[in-house]
Amino acid sequence: MEYLVLAVVAGLAAVERKGFLQAMLSRPIALAPLAGWALGDLRGGLLVAPPLELFWLGAVNLGAALPVHEALGTAAIAGGAVLAARALGVPVSPDVALLAVLVCAPLALAGRKADRLVEIWNERLADRAERQLAAGHPRAAVRCNVYGLALPFAIAAVLAPLGAALAATLIPRLLRAAPAAAEPLQHGFFAFAALACASGAKALRARAAPGFFYAALGAAVAVSIAVALGRRLGT
Amino acid sequence: MSALPRVPRLTLVRVFWRCLFLQAAWNRRGMQNLGFAYAIAPALRALYPEPARREEALARHLRFFNCHPYMAAAILGGAIHHEERVAAGLEPAEGPLRYKTTLQGPLAALGDGFFWTALRPFFGALAAVGALLAGWPAVVATLVVYNAIHLFLRIGLFRAAYAGGDAIVGRIARLGLPVAADRLRRAGAALCGLAAAIVVVRGAALSGLGAGAAAAAAAVAGYLALARGARLLPAAYVAALLAVGAAALAGRFHGGS
Repeated sequence: MEYLVLAVVAGLAAVERKGFLQAMLSRPIALAPLAGWALGDLRGGLLVAPPLELFWLGAVNLGAALPVHEALGTAAIAGGAVLAARALGVPVSPDVALLAVLVCAPLALAGRKADRLVEIWNERLADRAERQLAAGHPRAAVRCNVYGLALPFAIAAVLAPLGAALAATLIPRLLRAAPAAAEPLQHGFFAFAALACASGAKALRARAAPGFFYAALGAAVAVSIAVALGRRLGT
Repeated sequence: MSALPRVPRLTLVRVFWRCLFLQAAWNRRGMQNLGFAYAIAPALRALYPEPARREEALARHLRFFNCHPYMAAAILGGAIHHEERVAAGLEPAEGPLRYKTTLQGPLAALGDGFFWTALRPFFGALAAVGALLAGWPAVVATLVVYNAIHLFLRIGLFRAAYAGGDAIVGRIARLGLPVAADRLRRAGAALCGLAAAIVVVRGAALSGLGAGAAAAAAAVAGYLALARGARLLPAAYVAALLAVGAAALAGRFHGGS
């Protein structure tokens, strides 16, 4: 049942991502908490949402260029993290989240390849629409447009649960076999999340982006250190 | 020549709803051609009661079309404006096509530059910072604001282009989108820096100073590597695994001493 729910969420996100609306509902920041909530663990989804959003901030559909399928990757990662943590009997933690990223992130690349297939399928739909119009069936011709939503839905609905199932199988085994790995993996999660922030700044394509990124990072860290020192001196 | 026929208001609402499906069958040959024909079809049914003229009109909208999906609302509204004039005999049948061909490229560039590489990433970064600091309510609030802006512009462009036809060009120019985009990109980069700082501090608080140091190193070196052309996914694996390896080595060192 959980995998069916994840399939529906991933499929709908794949449709919203390009075919319908594009209201940011398929972006990782919305999709990861949604997938987590649908699987009964909103907080688990919320843990992976910010790094994934920033990691794939540059995944945009510019002209004919195909970006990575960030919605597919996100659905698999969030689903995989939640289901793996459930199998371990713990809430989603940074170590589980990192392993879910490492296992499922390549699905975003696979999704891009699948998008090429979708375009070929859609070309056939366009041919069919032209034939329908030539045969005097204008309603049937334009209706071909909505058939284009089916394949992206199906691809994401199949691949995301598969990725999540792989993560939910591998992660508990790994963490049970090597419980000492949990702490180093937590370090890895924070390193990944920080790199994701850098990726987000890079994706903004502004000449001044490095200056703003480093200045905000340095200033915020300095303020945090000052506040922490101030508290320590105060006690 | 006859009186200018008008598309009923409810039909315009239907056209706008259908334009949300503009990219449902995006393909390399005609790109958004099928989506555009799907969206404009109810308006053509209202304007051309004779099947032959209706099919002819639909056939011209099945030709190549590609624009930014939000900005395409302006082209759709303007195309209906021109189709009304074609139906009344005030304009040749090529009028709507000329309008579409002239505007689709510039509006695509403008839409990509503003919505896809500035407004949406800015709100993505804002939502990420909000999620890190305040949890899901911040995400919901950010998405509501983004969609209020996005839908306001999308509906506004559709209505203005339907009412004014070619006059939409001046109205879009007055919006100053490129200047706003530049500011949003800088603010977005600063938000990413703030998010990185939160990750560094949280890492140090939850998993020790080593995790904070690993995060700081990944943020600083990561940007440099990505700016020099490093590929994103391999860079993420390298950053994560280096941090894991360093933490494991440090743990072994402390354990052994």
